[in-house]
Amino acid sequence: MGKEGGVLNAILGSLYLSIGATVLSMLMSLPIVLYINLYLKPDSKFAATIRLAMDLMWGVPSIVYGAFGFTVMVLIGLKTSMLAGMITLAIMILPIIIRAMDEIVRTVPLGLIEASLSLGATRWETAFKVVVKQTMPGIVTAMLLGFGRAIGDAASVIFTAGYTDKIPYSIMKQVGTLPLSIFFQLGSPIPEVQNRAYAAAVILTIIILIVSILSRLYYRKFARNRIL
Amino acid sequence: MPAHINIQNLNVYYGERHALKNINLEIPDNKITCIIGPSGCGKTTLLKCFNRLIDTYDNVKVDGKLMIGSENIFDNNVEITHLRKKMGLLSQRPFPLPMSIYENVAYGPRIHGLKDKKKVDELVEFYLKEASIWDEVKDRLNAPASRLSIGQQQRLCLARGLAVEPEIILGDEPTSALDPVSSKNIEEKFLQLKEKYTLVIVTHSFAQARRLADYVVFMYLGEMVEQGSANQVLENPVQERTKEYVLGKIS
Repeated sequence: MGKEGGVLNAILGSLYLSIGATVLSMLMSLPIVLYINLYLKPDSKFAATIRLAMDLMWGVPSIVYGAFGFTVMVLIGLKTSMLAGMITLAIMILPIIIRAMDEIVRTVPLGLIEASLSLGATRWETAFKVVVKQTMPGIVTAMLLGFGRAIGDAASVIFTAGYTDKIPYSIMKQVGTLPLSIFFQLGSPIPEVQNRAYAAAVILTIIILIVSILSRLYYRKFARNRIL
Repeated sequence: MPAHINIQNLNVYYGERHALKNINLEIPDNKITCIIGPSGCGKTTLLKCFNRLIDTYDNVKVDGKLMIGSENIFDNNVEITHLRKKMGLLSQRPFPLPMSIYENVAYGPRIHGLKDKKKVDELVEFYLKEASIWDEVKDRLNAPASRLSIGQQQRLCLARGLAVEPEIILGDEPTSALDPVSSKNIEEKFLQLKEKYTLVIVTHSFAQARRLADYVVFMYLGEMVEQGSANQVLENPVQERTKEYVLGKIS
């Protein structure tokens, strides 16, 4: 049993989950980062609190996010599903993305922000048209950092996204992931299944490699307009 | 001589530090006014009051009036984006925006609602010519502004500032980072621009003030010591401290 087949379910599942989680996380983190850097004053206590909280959240083990996500799911009646996994992963990588972007956005020279403001731009326009453009390479790097963390994480999806051998077909259904397919298949006594686990591990590594290479290749393009 | 900007009892505090002390000042229309004085005397702070960039700093308290025409810019109902649109700012070091040369100039008009592509093209060309940089960049309008030399960047920043149709041009030591040739370019530009605009230039180059200024304000340690026509302040200062500065005894 199980001598046939591959890990397409896990590849697709992992990609969907991680891309979804990264997008969700970006939607939350970009406004937060721009807000604490452009709307709050540099010595704001609130901004300092957010940064501290993010540093703490960064250190929390991912199984805790999994358990937390699971608890919330039980409370609101959501079943183990791709959606639940995405949300949990998004929260897990939120501090990583926020802190990485925050460090970059803080390096934007004040003169650049003042140049935009003095043309009569609002802070909103300055944030999205100038600061985002200036920090594009950093934003992309932060995104990929989050993506890499999300795709490789097993503990936070074990309760929330579940596992299935089916190809993912609905956001409300359970979904297989590469880390979990390694975990489950490595424990099998059947050599073919074990080999599939190793294959999954290689694929996971290759996906991360491809993403890193792409980001290097595109770095120059993103950095083209940057003002030093 | 009609006063364009009229400052009355302006005080600025950075926390405990009293940075500008009771400034009273009149800045004439269509003239170049140079603010001179040693470093740390509050020149830049004063300039940042004009377009209320001072608001973005921590722990700042401002009182007094700064009238532009008949409007006190520190009134609560002043629309800040509208106010800033009236002023072009040139900073010490040019900060082009992280986009192409074309978009740098188009940025201002676009955020103020101009959408018509043809109109934007015309404006970009017009203001790049106005800042005497058109010939150098007309073939590479889509190149990133960061590739220009620093002197070109400063002229691009001038074009960008002019493109929002300001009344007043503020310069915060606008030539201090530039090479002599670029500085000369910018200075010549200023002399032409005073036909249409009111210019307020902060400088700590005495020679520059002599070349440019019609009207000079001397500041020292947060106080406005002397103001008057360039000739009077630079050649025949009344105040003791101005004399010492002009003679190079204090700096």
